Amino acid sequence: MAQTADNFVVKRATELRMAPGDASASAGPLAAQTPVTRSAARQGAWVEVRTAQGGTGWVHMFDLTPAAGAGAANSGSGNAATGALRGLSNLFNRSPAQASSGGTSTVGIRGLSAEDLSRSQPNLNAVVQAEALRLSADQARTFAADAKLVTQAVEPLPAAPVPNR
Amino acid sequence: MNTVNPLAHSSPLFGRAVISACLAAGLLSPVQAQNPLNALQQLLQQGQQRQQPPARNAPIPGGANAAAAGLLNLVAPTATPAANAPAGGAADLIKLLSQSLEQIDQPKEIEIGRQLAAVLLGSKPMHPDMVLQRYVNRLGRWISLQSSRPDLPWTFVVLDDAGYNAFAAPGGYVFLTKGLIDRVGDESELAGILAHEITHVTEKHHLKALRKSAQSGLLAQALTSQLSGSLGAGLSSQLLAMGRDVYSKGLDQEDEYEADRAGVALAARAGFDPFGLLAALHQLRTVAADNAAFTLTMSTHPPAQNRMDALEAAMGNRLDALSGKPPVALAQRLGR
Repeated sequence: MAQTADNFVVKRATELRMAPGDASASAGPLAAQTPVTRSAARQGAWVEVRTAQGGTGWVHMFDLTPAAGAGAANSGSGNAATGALRGLSNLFNRSPAQASSGGTSTVGIRGLSAEDLSRSQPNLNAVVQAEALRLSADQARTFAADAKLVTQAVEPLPAAPVPNR
Repeated sequence: MNTVNPLAHSSPLFGRAVISACLAAGLLSPVQAQNPLNALQQLLQQGQQRQQPPARNAPIPGGANAAAAGLLNLVAPTATPAANAPAGGAADLIKLLSQSLEQIDQPKEIEIGRQLAAVLLGSKPMHPDMVLQRYVNRLGRWISLQSSRPDLPWTFVVLDDAGYNAFAAPGGYVFLTKGLIDRVGDESELAGILAHEITHVTEKHHLKALRKSAQSGLLAQALTSQLSGSLGAGLSSQLLAMGRDVYSKGLDQEDEYEADRAGVALAARAGFDPFGLLAALHQLRTVAADNAAFTLTMSTHPPAQNRMDALEAAMGNRLDALSGKPPVALAQRLGR
């Protein structure tokens, strides 16, 4: 990931927690719009962050939003702030001409593309090979037991927004 | 996505070639009137006026082609041969897709999926790491067991591609790129992504998209250039064209949101941290817009931030209690 990928701002006022979880002790308040840097550490919904003042602690993922320049073009649309951020990020991104120059991309890797699909000739032999790797339900249960994965009762999530957080 | 349609072709000369090919492929057998498919109907009717049909039983050019053979199976893998014989495969495929999804039985659904899987495996090979392939099958099969369709022949494949993407095909085929595997932070992220793809299968999202594609007239357009380019392409051309289309353009955006919601619940049911998919999206939303490893993923899905916002609204804090597990690195499972 690029450097900018780790930069977030706090979406709504919250606490910086000493450990993952709402029940953990507070390391201090975090005002809305406070810039923070994410580390790779995550436990469930909680990610480790560092503030500009050097404080470290944990924040709920839902309380963070990407900072300016950090993938702004992939952010949600529909509010003025996002639009402004997108405009700003364009200053740092390469021009469309550069971006479409194919193999010379400095970002590096070019993934499976629409062009690859348009050239695809179906390969059923490869499908047969893949099918040979299918596992039975019992084999999967053995894996789960070894991995200590235990099923949970979980209700379906509602389609309509439920504003309870 | 503004994919330039590589299949579109405007030259009228190609019309004849298509018609010949349709005849050769047995497409000009009686086709029932189906309103959404006017374009193809007209094409076929013109052909009937202008040309004498060749012998029905003439060998199909490229008929030895495995994909064409597969499609022939698709038409009626279990039905009586007599009922099927005069109709020809491709016309039946259109008919099949224009029916309600309930009328596509499971063997047909699986055969459509095989054809689409062949398209994906025709664009990128399987990754040679068999330890990885087996691990993804264990993980995916376990999650599929908690889904609404645990008895499908679930097949999980890592594609040898450095980009970041995941795909599904009807009947239980799920694909992940090696680039995605390399970028996930831990097993729960992979579980969340697999659960999202498994939901596309259980909810038949690709069949819906294929039906839309068949009804849009794209099919006739696709035939125009596909068959003109290689007359031997045979019966699989239509499904090939539709498969390319559905993977290039992606699914209905509402179906993506549904796969996110149901995928989170499914991964949680299988015992994984419910925030795995969110963690993957958290990473995805900070990817620079011009990163070519993510181009197709980004163009075929709603913005990652919108997906996270929708999940936040749907989840609230009700799954937080299931999220305390310590992360498991893929390397632990792969013995590396």
